[in-house]
Amino acid sequence: MFYKTSGQFKTSYKSDQALFPVKQDAWLLIAILALAYVVFPLTANEFTFKALLVPVLIYSLAAMGLNILTGFAGQLSLGTAGFMGVGAYACYKITTIFPEMNIVVALALSGFFSAAVGVAFGLPSLRIKGFYLAIATLASQFFLVWLFEKWAWLYNYNASGAIEVRTMDFFGLTVTGPTATPLTQYYFVLGIVTVVTIAMINITRGRYGRMWKAVRDMDIAAELVGINLMRAKLTAFAVSSYVVGIAGAMLVFFWKGAAEPNLFDIPMSFQILFIAIIGGLGSILGNFLGAILIVALPVLLNVLPDLVGIQVHSAAMEHVNVMIVGALIVFFLIVEPHGLARLWGLIREKLIIWPFPH
Amino acid sequence: MKSLTKFATLIAASTMLVGVGAATVQAADSLYTPNLTYRTGPFAATGIPIMNGQRDYINMLNARDGGVGGVMIDFDECETSYNTNKGVECYEKTKGDAIVTQPWSTGITLQVLPRTNVDRIPILAPGYGFSPMSDGNTFAWAFNPPVSYWDGASMILNGISEGNLDNLKGKKVALLHLDHPFGKEPIPVIKALAEKHGFEFLPIPVGLKEMQNQSAQWLQIRRERPDFVVMWGWGAMNAGALTEAAKTRYPMDQFVGVWWSGHDADLEALGAKGKGYRSLSWNVPGNYPVMEDIKTHVVDAGNSMIENADEMDSTFYQRGVVMSMYLAEAIKEAQAKFGTAKINAEQMRWGLENLDISEEKLASLGMAGMTTPFSTSCSNHTGHGGAWMLRWDGEQFVQDGDMLSPDRDLIMPMEAEKAAEYAKNNAPWPGRGDLACD
Repeated sequence: MFYKTSGQFKTSYKSDQALFPVKQDAWLLIAILALAYVVFPLTANEFTFKALLVPVLIYSLAAMGLNILTGFAGQLSLGTAGFMGVGAYACYKITTIFPEMNIVVALALSGFFSAAVGVAFGLPSLRIKGFYLAIATLASQFFLVWLFEKWAWLYNYNASGAIEVRTMDFFGLTVTGPTATPLTQYYFVLGIVTVVTIAMINITRGRYGRMWKAVRDMDIAAELVGINLMRAKLTAFAVSSYVVGIAGAMLVFFWKGAAEPNLFDIPMSFQILFIAIIGGLGSILGNFLGAILIVALPVLLNVLPDLVGIQVHSAAMEHVNVMIVGALIVFFLIVEPHGLARLWGLIREKLIIWPFPH
Repeated sequence: MKSLTKFATLIAASTMLVGVGAATVQAADSLYTPNLTYRTGPFAATGIPIMNGQRDYINMLNARDGGVGGVMIDFDECETSYNTNKGVECYEKTKGDAIVTQPWSTGITLQVLPRTNVDRIPILAPGYGFSPMSDGNTFAWAFNPPVSYWDGASMILNGISEGNLDNLKGKKVALLHLDHPFGKEPIPVIKALAEKHGFEFLPIPVGLKEMQNQSAQWLQIRRERPDFVVMWGWGAMNAGALTEAAKTRYPMDQFVGVWWSGHDADLEALGAKGKGYRSLSWNVPGNYPVMEDIKTHVVDAGNSMIENADEMDSTFYQRGVVMSMYLAEAIKEAQAKFGTAKINAEQMRWGLENLDISEEKLASLGMAGMTTPFSTSCSNHTGHGGAWMLRWDGEQFVQDGDMLSPDRDLIMPMEAEKAAEYAKNNAPWPGRGDLACD
């Protein structure tokens, strides 16, 4: 009924290959974008921006970067947080060396640094696969965090050893630092995430996306049909690390405001891998669904007792929270091992044929 | 599938609810003083006793005196697990009505510090945070009484050199520190003193991942044979270091820790093997009248989170009590100055800036000798009191010698320099701004 596809005729190849072959998908997306661009900014308070919306967007972006590599190109990586760190430190250095530079330019440039580092650590992928590659990327994770700690030039010889974000303007609007309003930061992050998401949807649907998928599904067969494996794998590493680097820079600049080296340690790599896996590997939508589950749900669970008026000690709530989120991860993986995006796909299919399942 | 859709609607509904307004509801007639605790996570073992002490002292004031100045204190806890992401969440959640915030970890303090200038909420970070915070003209909203880490480094060196740093000439002092902003804090001071007094300084970092396995570091210590090992550790690192020291038979009386490296439980595990280990501390554990009051009004009344009354004797629990005392005294100062019991965050800031913890005041609070006397001012947000060495006698920590004082002449210019550097890095930094100094 809601998803009735009858009557939607496709008369050309172009319309058959459109991004939304079913009209309702487009309407749903418009509704979600309206929610993100209009409803949330009108209703949300500072806490919602800072603790829910902005982190969900940034983590979705990081997971999207990882998903390019792991979900689309099939190269397992455990070094995501390290590449995020490269983006963050690069952006910090760029903005301190060239204080006049526009923050968007600095963000875009810092992505190139993480892309370069990503390609360098992606080189082993030409020789090794699967778990062996995962270990190689794990090495990059350890090395990069070590580097952030030891190379004092990276944090400008700061006594605290951390990077701190100064106040920066974007065409007269304060976007970073303590005086930036959460609403401005939210719109800024949302804008960048929207642009990158559109770019990623197009890349993954295009020539490179198909190359990556071929390599993921069977690399020998891909090589036989004429795909250059080196090029496919290294471009996957480059694009993935670029997106991850931007996400890392945004994490520090538009959310936290300061970061210590160990922020970019393994726990964050795993968190992002969880988002990508639970959201659904090889899907763009899945990253957002996964981030909502992994990042936003614990925050929501924490404020829930207050909203319904139950007094629970904060530490007890934290324990309950860990248990609930853990149980939900197991539950979702049992219900749908291919992630939340696949779950949505199934729901959508059922809606299309509903109420006549045959 | 049905249950799933229901669940999805539930999530959607709660998102909307939070979107509309997640302001935490506070009772109208109380002062809201949130504490960003870590009773869970990797540092919980050392966090819990301190946070119990903090909570119980305020509960005692509420039960015995009906709060401070006739207003109840709403001492709320928000759990961070020492995680900086949760720190942001907790700060944003609690800042609405807060008159003060206690961010705990150094990482969270760094994140919160610039925002408190804008939100106009004072930070109270007793014995932690970074040392240049003492410069009140730069960090108008941050307070770290009674001593800073730089003061601590200077006092430990004064302690091991028996009052004359020239005694260390030609000796070797190792600093076993957590490789983390907190652990790196004392390095500039020890380095400066090493150059001035001609002793050798050897920093030995312990990575966050190696806290429990320090065999490499202790191998280095065995090889280098330093005359003293100073420890700047927290959480599992302390227990790891003490066990390794006992195993490698490093003389315990040459091994000294900062105040966070003096957790009773770590040493109880070693017992007599840890005899002689010293830890700097700005509180001395003992039987003080205030502890009796806490026992009667809170612990016996069943309002405490401690499991048995013995925990009240620990150094860390009593340090928590002292921390909350600073908080309550600052509230009193502000109430007296502004003539209102229900003070706001800006008035609380004034109270913290004019905190005067004298010997007489400590005695009247039933805490004579429990902590160091000090007073804060506009330019001095730390107070720079003093600290004692506590020596582990095999069963408990006992006071060892007189109170030590830091070498302020050396540290003061360093604080000013680093504070200026911070302001420059975070430009435009508001500094004191429109806040009057009176």
